[in-house]
Amino acid sequence: MMTVWIVIAFVSVLCFWGIFSYNRLVTARNDVQNAWSQIDIQLKRRHDLIPNLVSSVRGYLDHERQILGQVISARSLALAAQRISDKAVTEARLSLEIKGLFAVMEAYPALKANQNVLRLQDELVSTENRITFSRQLYNDLVANYMTLLQVFPDAVIASLFGFTGVEYFSASTAERRPLPAAAMQQ
Amino acid sequence: MPLTVIDIERRKRWRIGLLFTILLSLYFFTALALYGLIVLVTLPFRFAAESSCRSPYVPFAVIIIGALAITSIHFWISISTVLGSVVRTLKAGKPDPEDVVHQRLLNVTQEVRLLTKLQKMECLVIPSLSLNALAAADLKGNAVIAITEGLMSRLSRPQLEAVIAHEVYHIISRDCIETTIATSFFGIYASLMDQLRSWSDDGRQTLYQPDFFAFFALLNLSNLLSMFISREREYRADAAAVRMTKNPIALAEALHIISRNWSGGGMISSGLEMLCITSPVDSRDESEGWLADLLSTHPPMKKRIHAILRYAHRTYDDFVAILDQPDEADESNRGGSSGSYYALDNKQQWQGPFSLAQLSAMPWLTARTWLSGEDGRPAFRAADCEFITGALSLRMGSASGYICPNCSQPLQKIEYEGTQVHQCVSCGGTLVENDKIPRIIARQEKKCTDRVKALAGAVLRDNQRAMTISKVTGRDTRQKAGNRCQKCGNVMFRTFYSGAYLIEIDRCNMCRITWFDADELEMLQCLIENKITGTLSDHTEG
Repeated sequence: MMTVWIVIAFVSVLCFWGIFSYNRLVTARNDVQNAWSQIDIQLKRRHDLIPNLVSSVRGYLDHERQILGQVISARSLALAAQRISDKAVTEARLSLEIKGLFAVMEAYPALKANQNVLRLQDELVSTENRITFSRQLYNDLVANYMTLLQVFPDAVIASLFGFTGVEYFSASTAERRPLPAAAMQQ
Repeated sequence: MPLTVIDIERRKRWRIGLLFTILLSLYFFTALALYGLIVLVTLPFRFAAESSCRSPYVPFAVIIIGALAITSIHFWISISTVLGSVVRTLKAGKPDPEDVVHQRLLNVTQEVRLLTKLQKMECLVIPSLSLNALAAADLKGNAVIAITEGLMSRLSRPQLEAVIAHEVYHIISRDCIETTIATSFFGIYASLMDQLRSWSDDGRQTLYQPDFFAFFALLNLSNLLSMFISREREYRADAAAVRMTKNPIALAEALHIISRNWSGGGMISSGLEMLCITSPVDSRDESEGWLADLLSTHPPMKKRIHAILRYAHRTYDDFVAILDQPDEADESNRGGSSGSYYALDNKQQWQGPFSLAQLSAMPWLTARTWLSGEDGRPAFRAADCEFITGALSLRMGSASGYICPNCSQPLQKIEYEGTQVHQCVSCGGTLVENDKIPRIIARQEKKCTDRVKALAGAVLRDNQRAMTISKVTGRDTRQKAGNRCQKCGNVMFRTFYSGAYLIEIDRCNMCRITWFDADELEMLQCLIENKITGTLSDHTEG
């Protein structure tokens, strides 16, 4: 009789631990998804702002067609990207192009008098900052989730219920090296 | 010194307990003194009555319980109303989303909320031309960052971010809570004192009233409290701001700008100085040593900038030398050389060459202006050029619902110095809500032209003469009825903007709007920007 109780106790502890571990994994995964949707909102916002800015400054930057074209093509590349790692690379590229555009705009004092451009520029800078902050949060949460997936007891539950890893949103290597020219021709 | 969150929390509790004890002992001794006074006064009667049968401890118990009760009430009132009273004292308001500069503040606020998860944090704007910023927080987790109109107009975006990051650190580290509570203990009395001081300028006898001394004592007590609040916090907040924004130069520049200008003495009451980024009372105080450490709320600005510049591996002298160089960016106008359009201005003179962008910024350009290209094509109306019509429609804005009092035309909503005003297209008069006037005056994007400057000088002299004459002859020509208010229909007061800046304006005190005739707003800006005030001596003698 005693052994039966011990087995029952053991099994129920195992069950409780399983439920606890499963819930913890689900929570971590949901947090990651939530953080991703935050980034997605900001990325979308940026994609919406860029055409407005480009059309507002086009009249002023007659001699800078090239950089405007680069911004537009970087945006369409970023829009087309599906996987998170692709997005990270293309969005980093887009950030660089926007910075380049702002640097060029600095040289045109007439732009500083245009309130509409100033407003859009500030919105873009703000969105850029928000992307950085939400990326930090996302990557922290991904690190947390990945640890849960890989440490021993939780890893069992994770593989049992088919929890899969998620990608980091980082393009630290891509930001340093320029994209191959072929990718920009699209 | 690296402080963990738990350390900070513990210190905060300890400090708040200390504040409570100070307040308690203050009330206790006041009550004790009062009791002693009563005993002294009633001493002769007591001997006569011979009724000392009560225990001598009863009065002390009553005093202690009374002091405890009053202290609790005071403590509770000050922590529950502190944010509201700070905001009210400063007349701070929410940023206006239609305003470019305020929009920037709103954006930065959103970023900070995302970064720090401080959802109950709000940024407010103080309608003052001084340069200062402050943070306040209460025990319920509400927090406020207030920044003056003058500072916002001077700072670039990175500088604004740095200042906000500094204030945010005060909120996160919770050292803002104890300062806010300390401020609210005696700060309320201190602002009352400031009020008294301003009254005493009119009637001298206020100085001799006993209340005045009570307030003075309380103000000094409030200053004493600042001894417990270390100046080190400011260094720590500066360091945290650098860590958050990764931009030490921007913070150093912002502090430099603040230190070179009026930081709000007299405007921001001295009871609130502990909350500010720099002391509004003596921002140029560069004193050091233990006494200064003990008595002043903020470390000397130069020392702070030194400390920040170490992050950027710069020396103070280099930094100041770069900042004080005259800005030559405006001269290198790249758009200027590329111009190829000529336009017929309102005096029927051909002007040019302009680029399209420059042209669309010309104030006299309308859809019917004649333009001509360099290439010898026949002249064409501005309305035929797509770019110009786009720019003009931006400039025209939308109808604002007001009617021009001079020409009965609908006023147009336009952007002026980054904020929305209502302007008449035909006569050039401008209608401005009163709360927007400080913003316009604080910003200096529009440079005043020589024409406006000359005009402003002439108008000032003229009005001065008129005022002197009216003073001598006793006939008051001011406050005569002007146009009708477009909101309530009552007659607006025609009056001078202020005693120093004699520009005539129409003001409706009920609806809080002001009507400027053509050029009057520009003249006012020009006078204040260049600090042109009248020289009374020429005319008073005559």
